[in-house]
Amino acid sequence: MLEELEAFYRTHLAELRRVATAIAGDRELGCDAVQEAFARAVRKRRSFRGEGTLEAWVWRIVVNAARDARRGQRAAVLEAPAENGHAPVVPLDLLSERQREIVFLHYYADLDYAAIADALEISPGTVGATLTAARRTLRDALEEVS
Amino acid sequence: MTEFTALEELVPARDEEPDWEDVLRRARPARRIRLVVAVLVAVAVFGVAPALAVVLFRDHGLGFPPAADKSNIVVILAPQTGRILLEVAPRKDGNGFCFRIKPLRAGCVPRSKETVLMRPPLFGWSFDPRIVSGTATAPSGKTFPLFVRHFGGRIDATIYMARGRLVPRLLKSVVLRDASGNVVSRFAFKH
Repeated sequence: MLEELEAFYRTHLAELRRVATAIAGDRELGCDAVQEAFARAVRKRRSFRGEGTLEAWVWRIVVNAARDARRGQRAAVLEAPAENGHAPVVPLDLLSERQREIVFLHYYADLDYAAIADALEISPGTVGATLTAARRTLRDALEEVS
Repeated sequence: MTEFTALEELVPARDEEPDWEDVLRRARPARRIRLVVAVLVAVAVFGVAPALAVVLFRDHGLGFPPAADKSNIVVILAPQTGRILLEVAPRKDGNGFCFRIKPLRAGCVPRSKETVLMRPPLFGWSFDPRIVSGTATAPSGKTFPLFVRHFGGRIDATIYMARGRLVPRLLKSVVLRDASGNVVSRFAFKH
């Protein structure tokens, strides 16, 4: 089990940190959340009963740790680096917390609906509907901006 | 711009350096237990205030800047939870100190005449030995006492910070005072 956790950590670190950074709203907080999440997973590995996949269990812990980090710090809204003098705007405040998490897991971790559903303990149908609504909101807002 | 490119720019992909050793270290309960025991002893023996306690602790100094003298780290933590709030160590070259506050803010500070304030969370330092207390004032007018502590020896600096999480992030002013209550430093914020 420990070896599997380490392998997952090493293989998916980039995606884990991207998702955690996006949720926490800050890169340092996101990276720290991933480290804390895996420490938590290592400590609690015996409580994993194999009812879902190990990956979904770990993603759940990472998402929770990133949420905790954001709430603990009330991190500032993540801003992308400026380009040509204009900071690109991602209107994340138009999305609910659930929508944001699904968007981040889909885009940054490339998880499919079933994997996201496992990680967030919701149904795949809810994931699909939520992602569609979130995309529409983002697309409309970005079209307005441009 | 599409949502793809916007999200790509929001958190760009990058090569990441894994630190599995850090994960395993965090997973170990030993250090936390040792700290809690140390605090309980400190509270029992010295009657340290219940909100925060200070213990001298020889630490391995993981995460501290390289310039820090890691053999002599002072740890400040919340006795009820054992959570580390602040760690301070002298610099190896003797010019100032190094600090680490959770989560992941760390640095080394040379001696200077300036009183420095960082936020949020509210955290700052001064090498002015007169400072013994401080308050933060919210826009509503409500004031919050700050944790202020002078670290002697080679650190020889006074550090102040928010006491717990009750201090709001949005502040009107921060005032630092001497033992007679006279204002030594004042920071005012415009919103």
